[in-house]
Amino acid sequence: MTTNNGSSFTRRAFLGGSTAAAAAALLAACSPGGSGGGAGGGKALKFWNMPWGGTQFNPLDKKITTAYSPKGSLPPATYQTIQWANFTQTFSSAIASNTGPAVSSGGGTQAFQFAQQGKIAYADNLLDSWKKNGIYDDFLPGLVDTLKTDKGYAAVPYNLDVRVSWYNKALMQQAGAEVPTTWDEYRDVCAKLKKIGVYGFGQGSGAGNFTGSHILTAFMINNGGGLFNAKKEPDATNAANVEAMDFILELVKNGYSDPAAATYTSANVQSQWKAKKFGYGWDGAGLPQGAVGDVAGDLLVGDPLTSPSGKTGGLYFPNNIMMYKNTPSQEGSEAFLTYYYKNMAQLWTKNTGIGLPPLKSIAETAEFKQNQNNVKILSDWQPIFKTWAAPGTTGLFYNIANTVDGTQPMINFAQSIFGGKTDATNALTTLQNALEGLMK
Amino acid sequence: MSTEAIAQSIDRARRGVGVGGSGRGPRRGRSPGGRSRIATLLLFAIPSLILLVLLNLYPVLYAGQQSLRNGDLLSAGDFVGVQNYLTVVGQPQFQRAAVFTVVFTVVAVFGSWAVGLALALLLRTRIPAGGFFKVLLLLPWVVPVVVSATSWNWLVATPQSPLPILAQALGFGNVLFLADPLLAQILVCVFKVWISFPFMMMMMASALAAVDVNVYEASKVDGASSWQTFRQITLPMISRSTFISWILMTIFSVNDFPTIFLLTGGGPVNATQTLVVLAYQTVFQNYQTGPGVAIAFLMTIVLVFISVLLYRQIRKVNIE
Repeated sequence: MTTNNGSSFTRRAFLGGSTAAAAAALLAACSPGGSGGGAGGGKALKFWNMPWGGTQFNPLDKKITTAYSPKGSLPPATYQTIQWANFTQTFSSAIASNTGPAVSSGGGTQAFQFAQQGKIAYADNLLDSWKKNGIYDDFLPGLVDTLKTDKGYAAVPYNLDVRVSWYNKALMQQAGAEVPTTWDEYRDVCAKLKKIGVYGFGQGSGAGNFTGSHILTAFMINNGGGLFNAKKEPDATNAANVEAMDFILELVKNGYSDPAAATYTSANVQSQWKAKKFGYGWDGAGLPQGAVGDVAGDLLVGDPLTSPSGKTGGLYFPNNIMMYKNTPSQEGSEAFLTYYYKNMAQLWTKNTGIGLPPLKSIAETAEFKQNQNNVKILSDWQPIFKTWAAPGTTGLFYNIANTVDGTQPMINFAQSIFGGKTDATNALTTLQNALEGLMK
Repeated sequence: MSTEAIAQSIDRARRGVGVGGSGRGPRRGRSPGGRSRIATLLLFAIPSLILLVLLNLYPVLYAGQQSLRNGDLLSAGDFVGVQNYLTVVGQPQFQRAAVFTVVFTVVAVFGSWAVGLALALLLRTRIPAGGFFKVLLLLPWVVPVVVSATSWNWLVATPQSPLPILAQALGFGNVLFLADPLLAQILVCVFKVWISFPFMMMMMASALAAVDVNVYEASKVDGASSWQTFRQITLPMISRSTFISWILMTIFSVNDFPTIFLLTGGGPVNATQTLVVLAYQTVFQNYQTGPGVAIAFLMTIVLVFISVLLYRQIRKVNIE
């Protein structure tokens, strides 16, 4: 009996304990003050940043952040690296549950999505203060306004992701080609490169590689076109776009583009540069730092091209830093960002691999000027760059994120153009219909 | 061994009981002590069951209500009823993805089963370094799919990749394995068979191990050919494991996201897009939560339907 009683007691106790533990775990998980905690729940201000450069970027960035010593009762800052993999989900779930950061970088159009949800603290006051301390005037021309919405500045510019032309100078010399400055000259360069078995329209649009659709949009903007009108509505089928895509299709059909490019990942594109199969092409500013092997030293930034309509232009993505309403102190968020912008120059001067700087003072440092390709991008390309919003407006806006920024219709459009089995009007009409379907 | 004895052996093998085993038939009644024991076991299971129900049921219910709204990743949106379901089903992109999902799944299930069974039969014979080959053959299943997909991309992606060079050397010209829609579809199916056959091989090997060798000896005495032995004895005796492996592989294939997403991203121009990839892209690239979750729910319904059909087949086999 004793044994039975004991056994019975133990079993009940175990069951009761298990149930209690399960319930406690569930309650803890469901509690607003559960693990993780909100940014607003603690004293410190959470700064989330992305791996913008090489392996040395985030350690240095963390050092800058944790060295922040706020005045008075303002909160100090903690640092968290957020990986690019599934970053949309990471931010969305954190922001929705109020466990997100007080300040963060992220996707180029992320601030506009969160602003639409009422989660963003607009940066107007911060920018006003920066007008007094000189940071505002230090931004490259036109940059701050790309982040302006009807309700205020959704974020402040942080680094620039750009799409520019690149060429392999050794292959260009071998082909007897000069650096082109117009579309016609570019077509001739492609023809000369083809004679030595090299592609002149190097790019890719495979799994996870959105650069192809960026390049096509850049050509539209180059020709005075683009994807959105002044009402911020999709306008893919305008005449400038049709002319631009006709030109691209001509390059593709003449064999100046790698026939497999439609499915090239970034790694595949770099391997083609490395294999000296690409003599001229289009990519981001960091192409030579990619896996391009020995040709890195031969890669130079090309000149902006003038389209048949006499226009120049290109596409860039002003990556930015945003502030959230969920902060222990808005004043603290602004104070931290002021500190950060005054101390972030070393992210560029120490070659961490981050995109191009938003501040003229950084661009003028001796360390930055050592990279002539980056200097050329800022001097020749930056003044003509436009955002996804072109030609209608200068500032980015909410619908860009869910219509053109890495969306499936844009990838399909790029793959259909690079496949060469379509015509410009059909491809653009298909794109227009898809974009209209994604508008909110 | 008499025909009756063989029949009994087959029946016992189907129930997972060897010839020398002591398998008992199902119990017809339960004693009060038995009932008490079951009640005790149930009590032990209750905490886990509560957790399971909450952890699985809550997301399912939440997703269900998301599929009836026009929200996005941040906001719930307005209630739109079954509009999302009607919209996605009417979209040509969904229909194409559904068709390719069926093709992909059928090829994956039966392709990996055929290869797995063939290798399992082969490995039953005494071959030198058989253990080494068994381990080697498991590698496609063991290696993370990110690694194998990247390796396959390296094998086929550019004209300088090994397989296009081989194809050119064999006189097939410049073969674009990923850029040509049909070849890309074939490639992802072959890749899926390649990473899946070890699972089937293990399933079939364990099923074959349970088959009584006396049955084969008896059939040999009766003069059955190898093909007859395979058709009339091997296949029926491993049918239960076969159906189970088909169910599992159907679920694995329909829900297989990384294979397609890493190898082709669903391209070129959606040629290799399956429903699970379409659902992901709809939610996380186009920010259309409602339609994306609706696609996932439709997939689940179809999967449950297929699983029920195959389970019925298993029961039928047991009864026969």
